[in-house]
Amino acid sequence: MTDILSVDGLSKSFGGLTALRDVSLALRAGEIRAICGENGAGKSTLVKLLMGIFAPDAGTIAIDGARRTIRGPREAQALGLGLVAQELSLAPRLSILDNIWLGSPDVPLLYRRRALRQRAQQALDTVGAGDWDLDTPVSALGIGQRQLVEIARLIARNARLLILDEPTATLSDSEIARVLAVLKGLAARGHAIIYVSHRLGEVFELCDSVTVLRNGEHVATRPVRDITREQLIELMLGRPFGDMYPPASARPDAGSAVVVDRLRVPGHVHDVSFTAPRGKILCIAGQLGSGANMVTRALAGLVPDATGNVALDGKPLQLGSVPHCVARDVLFLSEDRAAEGIFPQRSVLENLLAAGLGSHKHFGVLDWPRLRRIAQRLAERVAVDQRRLAAAAGKLSGGNQQKLLFGRAIERPRPGVLLMNEPTRGIDVGARADIYRIMRELCALGYALIMTSSELEEVVGISDIVVTMYRGRTIARYEHDAIAMARILADITHPAQAVA
Amino acid sequence: MSVSEAPARSSAPVRERRNIVPLVRAAVLIILAAIALTTPGFLSQPSMLSLLTTVSFIGCVAVGMTLITISGNIMSFSLGALVGATAMIFILVVNWAGFAVGLVAALVFAGLGNALQGFLVGWLRANPIIVSIAALALISGVAEAFAAHGTVYAAAGTSYAGFKGKLAGLPVEFVVFLGLTALAQLILTFTAFGRHLFLIGSSFRAAEAVGIRIWRTVTGAYLWAGLFTAPAGIMLAMRYDAASMNYGIGYEYDAIAAVLVGGTVIKGGEGSVLRTLAGALVIGIIQVVLVLQGLRTEWQYLIAGLIVLGVIALQTQGRRD
Repeated sequence: MTDILSVDGLSKSFGGLTALRDVSLALRAGEIRAICGENGAGKSTLVKLLMGIFAPDAGTIAIDGARRTIRGPREAQALGLGLVAQELSLAPRLSILDNIWLGSPDVPLLYRRRALRQRAQQALDTVGAGDWDLDTPVSALGIGQRQLVEIARLIARNARLLILDEPTATLSDSEIARVLAVLKGLAARGHAIIYVSHRLGEVFELCDSVTVLRNGEHVATRPVRDITREQLIELMLGRPFGDMYPPASARPDAGSAVVVDRLRVPGHVHDVSFTAPRGKILCIAGQLGSGANMVTRALAGLVPDATGNVALDGKPLQLGSVPHCVARDVLFLSEDRAAEGIFPQRSVLENLLAAGLGSHKHFGVLDWPRLRRIAQRLAERVAVDQRRLAAAAGKLSGGNQQKLLFGRAIERPRPGVLLMNEPTRGIDVGARADIYRIMRELCALGYALIMTSSELEEVVGISDIVVTMYRGRTIARYEHDAIAMARILADITHPAQAVA
Repeated sequence: MSVSEAPARSSAPVRERRNIVPLVRAAVLIILAAIALTTPGFLSQPSMLSLLTTVSFIGCVAVGMTLITISGNIMSFSLGALVGATAMIFILVVNWAGFAVGLVAALVFAGLGNALQGFLVGWLRANPIIVSIAALALISGVAEAFAAHGTVYAAAGTSYAGFKGKLAGLPVEFVVFLGLTALAQLILTFTAFGRHLFLIGSSFRAAEAVGIRIWRTVTGAYLWAGLFTAPAGIMLAMRYDAASMNYGIGYEYDAIAAVLVGGTVIKGGEGSVLRTLAGALVIGIIQVVLVLQGLRTEWQYLIAGLIVLGVIALQTQGRRD
């Protein structure tokens, strides 16, 4: 049997930078292949070459054994290749049916033909969503359900090789489980799947084999059963890897830094109370819509209608005012790095200093030499290359951008409170390890860290204390040895299986 | 649009077009220089003086406009009207209470009047363009009511002969403008307020999340914009010993063109007053050339419109976000 896809010696460079060098791989029908690598390893370049978005400098792509030149996404589609990109690309106001056929070359000008409706229905059946009404507007669906519509769209167009680029980055655990189940079903029907993901848990759960890229080169392709998690990480990094999660320091409990008493945000959070000590990482675990992210936002002063009693070191913290919270050294790291975290056009230096400019001036004049020294030190502490201080933050990788946000929080006048939503979302393994290390350093300095995460493995790996939430209420609190994946999973999907 | 086409649209065309910006800029400058130098009389002293005074008036407004643009609030259409109104207030108050009081009154009026707009934009998150259009109508309407005859004249005996002279060979207006440009650039570079303007313009939500006091900073930007614009009105009034709302007509367009030609980004977060100085020089040269070529004022609007459209087309590069 010939391979559905076979890539031989693919190379691509942009200007002087080699993005992909001599990469070869082959994929059988029914195989699910993970593509792993750090940011910049060449994963998205490979995807774009397959979809015809870029033309390769050298090398060949063969589909079903026949050599092809793919000149654009439309040709890729005609050859049976389909891509689910990182960001959803559905038109929310249109129906599921319209979205499935939107832009398809098969569709005549007036397309409401029974045959197309039937094919759309079959595609929905294939992704296990046969009971959905084709005329429902996509805006009425959850994000996980929309992801299934994206997949159905490719199936309806006869895609035999599905390429998914970080399809689960914004999904909650139960939604992920559903998407993964659908993908396994598709593979069983003979579709081949390329699965690009940072989430190693999914790689081992879903995929048959994994191809590792590093610096644009093919490092290894292995069946996942022949490789351990640690080995995979070492292949990606190209160096031996210590424990992903640094151990908690044996610091004595320094008392409660943050005491939250009956925090409420209308419609999102109902009477949430907990305490967070200094020197520890408290993780609020919950699925999308559990209100976990809203708790941290409220504590950061970003939610005007939040009410409740919050005290920091015994003194009340005024809710609803970010400047007030920042003045008490309570800082917020958004899960939406691009829109609410970095200042894309501004330099790395300015991004590092953004939260503290006001406190480094003489008679109103900024002390730039001193600010520059501080920025250099901060860059060093969060492992961002100091030579890039002048670069625009928007040009950095996701991992480096996230480190900049951490840089803002270190070296506050006194150890503060760090509120982090999904601190490692969309970040490669290397940067992730750096971020966990920075988090532990902050603990050692006496900061109180409060984070949210929808990635269970991370919750269990990094937390000292876990507070579980479901539908705006806290369910339980676990410390140290009591933190176990099964319990947390049960809590956050409590009371029974919900979520379509 | 199919799923698979999305990345193609966002990456490939942008990559190619970005490189043409410096080329276009260089080409435009060379063409402009060629036209200017081949225009008879361009290098004469009267036309140079006229160039520098024109640049000074446009420039003051453009410096103010730059602060608004950098803060992410695009532009203000009311600054031209503010020039006229400030000029009238200056003349009226000077006639009534003397030069010093008139100067202060004109600055206070322009600063506070504009700060009020900034407050609406920063505190209520009102759309800055709409607010500025409303302010334009309001200022024009009130001025109409106060000065029924349209023009107010300086009292007999008031003379600004000294002001009409030169400093180091340059018109006094131009020296004042250079001073204001330097002051604005210092504010932008060396104060926390100035840096916060860039941050807010770069990402409003990120600025909010790091605890920058947004409404204060935005109100401050408009306050300073008013203070930098006011001298244009005051200097016009001193030059002509009179003032009318007509004085400000068109200044906001020229200022917008100067800001954009200088390279301050229309979305905010990037730019400088020094760039605006260069932009104002370009706009000034175009206007002087048009006058020397015997073209009427309408052409100046046409050219300003084309310049703004051209720069926007280059800056946005097919993206809209």
